[in-house]
Amino acid sequence: MEKSKKGSVLSNIQKSSNLGIFIALILMVVIFTALKGSYLSRANILNILVSCSVVGLVTIGETYLMIAGQIDMSCGSISAFSGVMIAVLLKGGWPLVPAILAVLATAALIGLINAVLVTKLNISFFIATLATQSIFRGLAFIICGGKSIAVTHAAFLKIGSTRILGISLPVYIFLVLIIIFGVILARTRFGRSIYMVGGNSNAARLAGIQAKQVVTLLFVFSSLLASMGGMILASRMNSGQPSASEGLEFDAVTGCVLGGVAMSGGIGNMSGALIGLMIMQGFANGLSVLNVQSFWQKVAKGLLLIVALTFDYIRNQQRQKEALKLLAERS
Amino acid sequence: MSSLEFRDISKIFPGVRALDRISFQANGGEVVAMLGENGAGKSTLLKILNGDYKADGGQYLLDGEEKHFRSPLEAIEAGISIIYQERQFVPYLSVAENIFMEDIPVNRLGFIDFRELNRKAQEIIDVFQIPIRAETQIRDLSVAHQQMVEIMKAYRRNPKVIAFDEPTASLSDAEIDTLFTIIRKLKEQGIIILYVSHRMKEIFRITDQVVVIKDGRFVAQLATKDTTESELIKLMVGRDLGNVYGELDRNTQMGDVILEVKHLRNPWVHDVSFQLHRGEILGFAGLVGAGRTETMRAIFGADAWKEGEILLDNQSVHFRSPREAIRAGIGLATEDRKDQGIFAIRSVMDNINVASMEKVSKGQWLVPSKERETALEAIQDFRIKTPDEEKHIGELSGGNQQKVILARWLAADPKVLILDEPTKGIDVGAKAEIYQMACDLAKRGIGVIVISSELPEIIGLSDRILVMHNGRITGELNPKETTEAEILGYAMKETQ
Repeated sequence: MEKSKKGSVLSNIQKSSNLGIFIALILMVVIFTALKGSYLSRANILNILVSCSVVGLVTIGETYLMIAGQIDMSCGSISAFSGVMIAVLLKGGWPLVPAILAVLATAALIGLINAVLVTKLNISFFIATLATQSIFRGLAFIICGGKSIAVTHAAFLKIGSTRILGISLPVYIFLVLIIIFGVILARTRFGRSIYMVGGNSNAARLAGIQAKQVVTLLFVFSSLLASMGGMILASRMNSGQPSASEGLEFDAVTGCVLGGVAMSGGIGNMSGALIGLMIMQGFANGLSVLNVQSFWQKVAKGLLLIVALTFDYIRNQQRQKEALKLLAERS
Repeated sequence: MSSLEFRDISKIFPGVRALDRISFQANGGEVVAMLGENGAGKSTLLKILNGDYKADGGQYLLDGEEKHFRSPLEAIEAGISIIYQERQFVPYLSVAENIFMEDIPVNRLGFIDFRELNRKAQEIIDVFQIPIRAETQIRDLSVAHQQMVEIMKAYRRNPKVIAFDEPTASLSDAEIDTLFTIIRKLKEQGIIILYVSHRMKEIFRITDQVVVIKDGRFVAQLATKDTTESELIKLMVGRDLGNVYGELDRNTQMGDVILEVKHLRNPWVHDVSFQLHRGEILGFAGLVGAGRTETMRAIFGADAWKEGEILLDNQSVHFRSPREAIRAGIGLATEDRKDQGIFAIRSVMDNINVASMEKVSKGQWLVPSKERETALEAIQDFRIKTPDEEKHIGELSGGNQQKVILARWLAADPKVLILDEPTKGIDVGAKAEIYQMACDLAKRGIGVIVISSELPEIIGLSDRILVMHNGRITGELNPKETTEAEILGYAMKETQ
């Protein structure tokens, strides 16, 4: 694991450690295609890509957070809240850009609340964001009176419906962002700080890294990305729906874990998370294509997370075993 | 008569072969000392003894019967008890409840029978003749009496073996006397006593046999009455320690004052003032909890302080975070390497560069070639034994981890470098290297502060010694003229 050769950029992307899940992805595609030929059709691949785009934005945020040793459970709620909020604002006659900025500012504030709960009040990230998850899901219902709000703003609807080369705009938005965030993670001082904080936050602070500020920023990022996802979804569905994106963070975290982002923090990379995400979404889509009942899909997703966690555990064990073997050879 | 035997016990951890085919035997009615330096493997052996760790090789026999404990509970049931340095009790429960922890007498309705509990506890207290009451809450007892409760708890379980891990670390002389009386009583009852300590005086007072362990290997088993302190030290360290310090290539050119602390105060530090010169190694001696680490953390911006003044290079400074301190030229190599020093799952390279990322970057962008170059240079300069710079630091030995930490701080270009217990858990060979590295740092004009609880180290390494007790500086000594006893005197001195 994590064995990179002499330092080119490519090695930092760690081909070797992502090879296993890449093979898993191919294998999954082969199996679904064998079961149902239309799985690999152009239309369905586009479907998968579009479904990746919203949860993908959340995956970017969760990847950062998980590497820093945190998780944001409130992404789905923030996403729904943002979708409803943009619908309400546009219906109230707000111009497009100020409306979007207002939603993003609100999301940033929510991220900040999460961060304060975790870094200042020392509440465990899981519990803190579970609380905000409930709060903003509730508020999403409150601000729209419990009913979904139709969006008629033409320019806004274009976000979801525009296609370039046959691929819809949200896919491009997602790809551009994951590349930017991936490069920041792999190549900048800030990115390195995230790994250090997740590796050992005490040591990070004593080595001059502002661990709390890093974590704060990551919660804000996560919130902003979820919010963008929520608005994109609202645009695609022509409405803001308070019940949307339930369990979004669950899908994102499962993808991350599948992609080799360690639950214990400090390990993982964006390309792995991307492959994990594709497995997760490809799997969900495959079940739909096979007409598996949606309740059973939920069960299957849960099982997939358990499989992912098992791999996470095995990888951990291997790391330790390798260390022991090396040591035994040396002494 | 009961007996305990280890045959070729081995234990391997990532980064260390902690135990390498250890064999020895102990019999009931004997106090057997386990003697060895920090990191020699004593604690690991105790953890195998009580089922916390599983040996990777060898046999563990109790009364001639091979044991494979899967948990400490199984070991306890088989009659193994360990009295640890850090006492393990529930502070808000009574003495009696702690003694009978997992075996509390209940009445017919299943409620605790307090009268019976206290009566049985008092019986045990009477055996040891300790002036405490069964109903007293543990937190109201002195440290020594808390330890006695631990021993009574072990005694109540009818043990075959009781191991003491540095039991006198925080006891006064009178309390040590009481402890020894109790140990003798346990010994008379045929219990096997293992006694881990590196306090020579005690070993000659209380033990019958001495087992010497060095670098995870068995060195010798001797009858205490047939050996001497100097023989044991030689066995322990494998050579005369005196030379290590004598051979150091020291800095002789001391500069002007680089750091001055005036009347520094916070909840743990009471009115501390001192000066540090460029190129000086300033030793901080004292007992655990004397406030040395806390003083340094305040200077370094890791803990807050309100009163006093700190001058770095004649400039008044007040760091709100370690980041500010590092930028101004202060480094702190912490005592607890694992929790506060290393990033175990990151490479040696990342561990070296973490505190000086701006030096291996262009703006915000890391430059991999620079990262590698800096790391390789440091690996060479500090003679870090690692297969390559990508190796996870967690897989290196303690000594090499510490060298990486020193390299990290040198890369950050400090004016002042604070080393808190720099040789804790490091084997003797690496210790000598670390000492020389501290001297080399001083030669570069860095003001070096060394906190150490090992008195020979403080005397041998420092240019000047400050002793702390209870958050205050109680003495300043010249290492050429002082003795361990004198330092200890100041370390235990109550001022004002």
